[in-house]
Amino acid sequence: MRITFFAVSALALFAICANVSGQSQSQAPAPPPAKKHAAAAKSTTADQDQKEGERRFFANCGRCHNPPESISPIEVNAVLRHMRVRAMLSAEDEELIRKYLAP
Amino acid sequence: MMLWTAAGLRAQVNAPILSGGVQFLSSTVGGNTFFQPAIAPVLVVPLGEHWLVESRADLRGFIAHDNGSTGPYSGQFIASLEYLQLDYIANSHLTMTVGRFLTPFNIYDERFTPFWIRNLQDAPIIFPIGTRTTGSNNGFMFRGVIAAQKAWEVNYTAYFSVLSTTENLQSGRTAGGRMGVFLPLAGVEVGVSYQRFLQDVNYNSVGTYFTWQPPPIPLDVRSEYAHSPAGQGYWLEAAYHFSKTRNDTSRLGRLQGVARIQQFFKGTPIPGSDLPSVDVNRFDFGLNYYLPHDVRVNGSYGRQYSSAGNANVWEAQISYRFLFPALPGVFK
Repeated sequence: MRITFFAVSALALFAICANVSGQSQSQAPAPPPAKKHAAAAKSTTADQDQKEGERRFFANCGRCHNPPESISPIEVNAVLRHMRVRAMLSAEDEELIRKYLAP
Repeated sequence: MMLWTAAGLRAQVNAPILSGGVQFLSSTVGGNTFFQPAIAPVLVVPLGEHWLVESRADLRGFIAHDNGSTGPYSGQFIASLEYLQLDYIANSHLTMTVGRFLTPFNIYDERFTPFWIRNLQDAPIIFPIGTRTTGSNNGFMFRGVIAAQKAWEVNYTAYFSVLSTTENLQSGRTAGGRMGVFLPLAGVEVGVSYQRFLQDVNYNSVGTYFTWQPPPIPLDVRSEYAHSPAGQGYWLEAAYHFSKTRNDTSRLGRLQGVARIQQFFKGTPIPGSDLPSVDVNRFDFGLNYYLPHDVRVNGSYGRQYSSAGNANVWEAQISYRFLFPALPGVFK
């Protein structure tokens, strides 16, 4: 009987804790506007970098060939190092084109 | 543990790759048909932040009739090492290369010799000018960007090469350089090349090139002029994707039309120059279709006019460009 009581109490306590935790999660205050703007700005910067990377790809690598259909993050470093020598890319070109090829 | 993980990630980032192309090319020149199955593996091994080892070989069969246009077919195997070089990238102004590298004379040899990249399969008639003896050199090279702004860039290449008669590693004793101006916003590049051939008969070769890719239009215009005592000439090529943008993967956007005209004017014959001994005029038209998965099919027709006889040139090719980590098991 005592065991059953403790078991039921423990389950009830667990349920209450879980509920409170869930409520606290769902009731977590929204990020302040400044943080929201920072996240949006970060996303916009990433998009801009990718767009600039695409432009630099077609301006440099695209002088000779089309972009590869797919390229994995594992392969991209060697590909860009190769292109850095061939197309005389700058370190900045390399970084931006990396963001375009393997974001 | 963290250090070990960081080392593992670094190894992944610097994973070597095996790339290149495989093709089957059928050519009919003046009624004689021959076939060239080929594979050209490219190995790229980055080492640390500044070093790079890169190599490309060309392994191909040449299958033709025993008696020109009749008789049974027979074939031969041709292998060549096009480059095997060690690069040190000091910064964007200077990359030092030692080993075997493609001759940086004009742009065709360095940029368009891969058969999965070039728009028309036949190299230009003037290709041997400035690229003796094999299009590859054994020696050292410096290259980089002298100065750059958003709207312009000035780049250079300088090299020296030693004589080599080793099979598959032949090279001429030469010295030369190239200087180019690139206007990325306009998509224009112009440059000049110079080479001094320093063995047997010493002579100079000079060249100039021009490329134009108007950014909003998927049009590529390329041209070279080259001069040596053995002859001079030019080629002008235009290629257009039937789309509004450069990376259009629609059915029509994958189609590219190509046209090239070229003229060659003979000079004083030089043994081993590999240039025609007569004046030659030629035009080519072709269509390339870029299928999914980096497969390309193309066909072209050309007509060559010379005092040695006019000839039709038909070519059809299918090629596949591959790219994967060179040591896949290690980097899973």
